[in-house]
Amino acid sequence: MALLRVFHVSAHYGSHQVLHDVSFELPMGEALCVLGPNGCGKTTLLRAIAALIPFQGEITLNGVPIRSMTRLRIASHIAMMCQAPKVYFAYSVYDTVMLGRYRHLRQSLLGRPSAKDRECVERCLEATGISALRNKRIDQLSGGQLQRVFLAQTLAQDPDVILLDEPMNHLDMKHQVELVDYLKAWAKSQGRAIIGVFHDINLALRLSDSVLFLKDGRVAARGRFHAIATPAFLKEIYGLDVVAYMLESFGKWAAFRKTNPLEGGTTRGASIPEPVPSLSLSD
Amino acid sequence: MKTGWKLVLTALGSLSVLVLTASFGSVPIPPGDILHILGHKLLDMPLEGLSPISADILWKVRLPRAVMAYLVGSALSVSGAVMQSVLRNPLASSYTLGVSAGASLGAAIVILTGLTLSFAGMLTLPFVASVFGLSTVFVAMGLAARFDRSMHNETIVLVGMVLSLFVNAILTLVTALSQDHLRQLVFWQMGSFSGKEWQHVAVVTPILLTGVLLLSLLTHEMDILTFGEEQALSAGVELRKVKPLLIGLCALLTGTSVAFVGTIGFVDLIVPHVARRIFGASHRLVLPASALLGGPMMAVADLVSRTVLAPRELPVGAVTALIGAPFFAYVYFKERSG
Repeated sequence: MALLRVFHVSAHYGSHQVLHDVSFELPMGEALCVLGPNGCGKTTLLRAIAALIPFQGEITLNGVPIRSMTRLRIASHIAMMCQAPKVYFAYSVYDTVMLGRYRHLRQSLLGRPSAKDRECVERCLEATGISALRNKRIDQLSGGQLQRVFLAQTLAQDPDVILLDEPMNHLDMKHQVELVDYLKAWAKSQGRAIIGVFHDINLALRLSDSVLFLKDGRVAARGRFHAIATPAFLKEIYGLDVVAYMLESFGKWAAFRKTNPLEGGTTRGASIPEPVPSLSLSD
Repeated sequence: MKTGWKLVLTALGSLSVLVLTASFGSVPIPPGDILHILGHKLLDMPLEGLSPISADILWKVRLPRAVMAYLVGSALSVSGAVMQSVLRNPLASSYTLGVSAGASLGAAIVILTGLTLSFAGMLTLPFVASVFGLSTVFVAMGLAARFDRSMHNETIVLVGMVLSLFVNAILTLVTALSQDHLRQLVFWQMGSFSGKEWQHVAVVTPILLTGVLLLSLLTHEMDILTFGEEQALSAGVELRKVKPLLIGLCALLTGTSVAFVGTIGFVDLIVPHVARRIFGASHRLVLPASALLGGPMMAVADLVSRTVLAPRELPVGAVTALIGAPFFAYVYFKERSG
């Protein structure tokens, strides 16, 4: 059975309909990337799946409609990393990541973190490469560091499905590659799932097992990227000859490589931390 | 220094300031004598040569007034800290949703009509004022929910401001048309602890303590709310219940305070920022720290108001604003510059 099922989902803001009859399934262990131009409904789709906005249709998790779940129950299955919010108050990095454990903290006496909570936060700090920043105030971090803090917070929630809305914004290439590989390993090794919204097709391809193209709020195609994305299709979706653009870029890199041969390094096998082990508490 | 020790030292300093403020006045009473008098009143210890008049001045006039100022300062500061987190706005205050405007209108009606409710007696004015203050907040919340089912912060703040302006306009009209009571009305609106007795302390203490204790059970929710409503929902916070509960408890604290002592601004705005500078942003510490810092700050403001031009009294609201405005500018901009 699919872990997540989105069935004929539509959503609108006021009189403006953003999503039209979107349906797809997501099995355990799979990473799905949602692609499409600006304003096609990618973020709205994530917000509907996280039950942050009202929607028509049905979304189920392990066969249970999310409409019938409490917020805490939804949070035990789905965590959404929103685009990095504005920081108003100077929390420490550690405290910010610990807030991802909210549903677990609520169950403990006086809301104090348990050893499990602390262990989980440590692993998330390590996975996102911010252990050294644990005591730093978040208002003193760079955009990329802050992005990793919120990713660590989302991981600390320990959900079955993670929804990522432009998670690699502000990150340098090293951290983009490391985090994408980490997330993929996390989903595969623990039977979890990821839905990510990306503008960078290269990163999307690196993370995803399959992709879903949205156009004007409708599913334009769903499947393996290489099976569905023809040059003509991508041009229709983005209004740009994507393949020609990519090849032009690759041509420049190929020329660069000719004059600067690689010294055996690849991005594969970069120092990728171990995925956070399952720390689910019984709800 | 460890956070626990910082909190203990703050608590000791806070209570020391409370005792010290009671020692100043037309008849100085040294802190040592204050402890003797307290021992006499509470534990029936002998006065040991101290004047019974001094004991009466302290016990019947200064101490209830100082304790009232301390309680109100603590409650307003806690309420301010919560409102700033719920509304994600470091400049939000306890009064953002119109509680002071409503309470002032209620108080004005009692002052003008001379109304006395049989069950409330001498407490008719604070009772009516708190009912009006709380009602204004609930009307604001109701309207906000009607305009925007998700009750976004912008809607809440906007509705609160519009309602405040509307109620304040009525209050201004009422004040302008009642020259006989003008002085009384204006002075009440600027806040005063004059004439506060133990019976007032006995009424406000359980209400304020209950409010603060209930709020202290929701510190994780406040923390997450500072990162936005979507973040809070995604983490599992039942926003539709939690947000009105937090705002309702703040209205209870502020409404009760305003009803007894009038509108006193700035303490609720400044103190949470000072608390965050010393203890960090986590509300687990910000709430108790705000209570422990807001209490003495208000007690000192009251001391200034009753001693600077003695025997005349200045409105406490004016004192807190005079001290608070430059102090707030210093703290806020220093905080922003790191």
